[in-house]
Amino acid sequence: MPEKIKILYIDDELNNLVGFKASFRLDYNVLVAENTAEALDILTKHSDIRIIFCDQRMPDKTGVEFFEEIRNWFPHPIRILITGYTDVEAVISAINRGHIFRYVKKPWADADIISAIDEGYKFYTAHSLLAIKNEELQKAYNELDKFAYSVSHDIRGPLSGIMGAIKVVKHLDDVNEIKEMLGLMENSVKKLDAFIISMHDYYTIQRGELRIKDIDLKQVIEDIKDIHQTSITSNKVELIVNISQEETFWCDELTLKLVLNNLVSNAIKYQKQDNGNKFIELNIEVAKGQATIYVKDNGIGIPENYLSEIFNLFFRASTQDAGSGFGLYNVKDALLKLNGGIKVSSVLGEGAVFKVTIPNK
Amino acid sequence: MSEKSKKANFIIIDDSQLDCFIAEKLIKHSGFDKNMRSFLVATEALDYIKGIKYSQLDEPTIIVLDLLMPVMSGVEFVEEFEKLPFSIRNKYLIVAFTSSMNKKDMSRIRSYKSVKYIFDKPINAQVLLPLIDECNSLI
Repeated sequence: MPEKIKILYIDDELNNLVGFKASFRLDYNVLVAENTAEALDILTKHSDIRIIFCDQRMPDKTGVEFFEEIRNWFPHPIRILITGYTDVEAVISAINRGHIFRYVKKPWADADIISAIDEGYKFYTAHSLLAIKNEELQKAYNELDKFAYSVSHDIRGPLSGIMGAIKVVKHLDDVNEIKEMLGLMENSVKKLDAFIISMHDYYTIQRGELRIKDIDLKQVIEDIKDIHQTSITSNKVELIVNISQEETFWCDELTLKLVLNNLVSNAIKYQKQDNGNKFIELNIEVAKGQATIYVKDNGIGIPENYLSEIFNLFFRASTQDAGSGFGLYNVKDALLKLNGGIKVSSVLGEGAVFKVTIPNK
Repeated sequence: MSEKSKKANFIIIDDSQLDCFIAEKLIKHSGFDKNMRSFLVATEALDYIKGIKYSQLDEPTIIVLDLLMPVMSGVEFVEEFEKLPFSIRNKYLIVAFTSSMNKKDMSRIRSYKSVKYIFDKPINAQVLLPLIDECNSLI
């Protein structure tokens, strides 16, 4: 059974309150108040009141005045005026000024109150749904904004670099200089390519469906090693892998790989160039209910004030090896989809540890 | 004005190595450079500028500045630069180059007095020549 709609009725005549409650308490959750001070108290305590009925003629103030007063503090409940007199002028002006959803004549017929509640509640639901949708849209819109913003930098950036390089190369005669330029152009192309792959990852996470299956961790690790083999070798990084698996690991392979790929790739990228003993330690523990993955490196580390920001879209904490600001955002998003989580700890100049948890069921 | 006086110092600030390299080559090729320094990190460029003794500042310098950079962006660099004494700022001409098509970025950087021009990337030789003239008229 759906929850009863919560209603507040304010009237200085006790008999009316008793009568109202008696008629409607079975179908609705009815709260009553004898004066406006009491009403305010109830409204403060019950944020889930959907509809307020208020008598127009009360000793301390009129219903219209009361509604006008509470409108800013409690904008969400639907306001309905009950009046025994034909205060037509006051009612019309209140409705026109938007203080009041509708009015019911006193003495009321039950059917009038019920229809007022029905209509008011429909209006309330439509309004709050709209507010939620609006919020979602705003979020999507903000992301799109960020996206368009970054596209001009991350896609046009490498392109304009290559364009500029071509112009310069046309004037060069020295083969070595031309070769140097070609090397830099190659980096730009790679960067653009990596950006497009990340962008594809982004959409896969946003729209793709999970395919949970029994994960062969050894094979996954082999695949990750294959992908990064060149950069591991050329950067002289040692990759240590420890797997301790007691249970079958149920997960979506593509999403898991995306997480590991990004973390390992970052651990390679953000090494200290002059360190003779660069290492990455990948520890995976699969237990009942949960898998825990640690990716540890002894690289440049992350400044403390950036730790809370590194998972934001397009945020970059370092100028070393221009990243796109996509990677960790994708990792966090992917883990969110798996109902997992990620934590980071780091000592600047000594390295970073990323701890990933994924439910295993 | 004789050809010889049409020269300036250059400081290039860009987190993209390729873009720095292109700017260097172009400027060298044009023959307008006296002294040229490139920085991949804006904070280092700022330290460099702060470290130059006033007595060595007799020559005007053009700063070729990228806008979107991590850690310290072009805008943040300009903000810090504007805190320097006028006598020092006066010796520099900041020219922003960006691949961003974002209007907010553009109008924000335009609001700083020290930034004389904003150009679309890549940097090219045609825009450099008038800059050298303007830079020399500073002194």
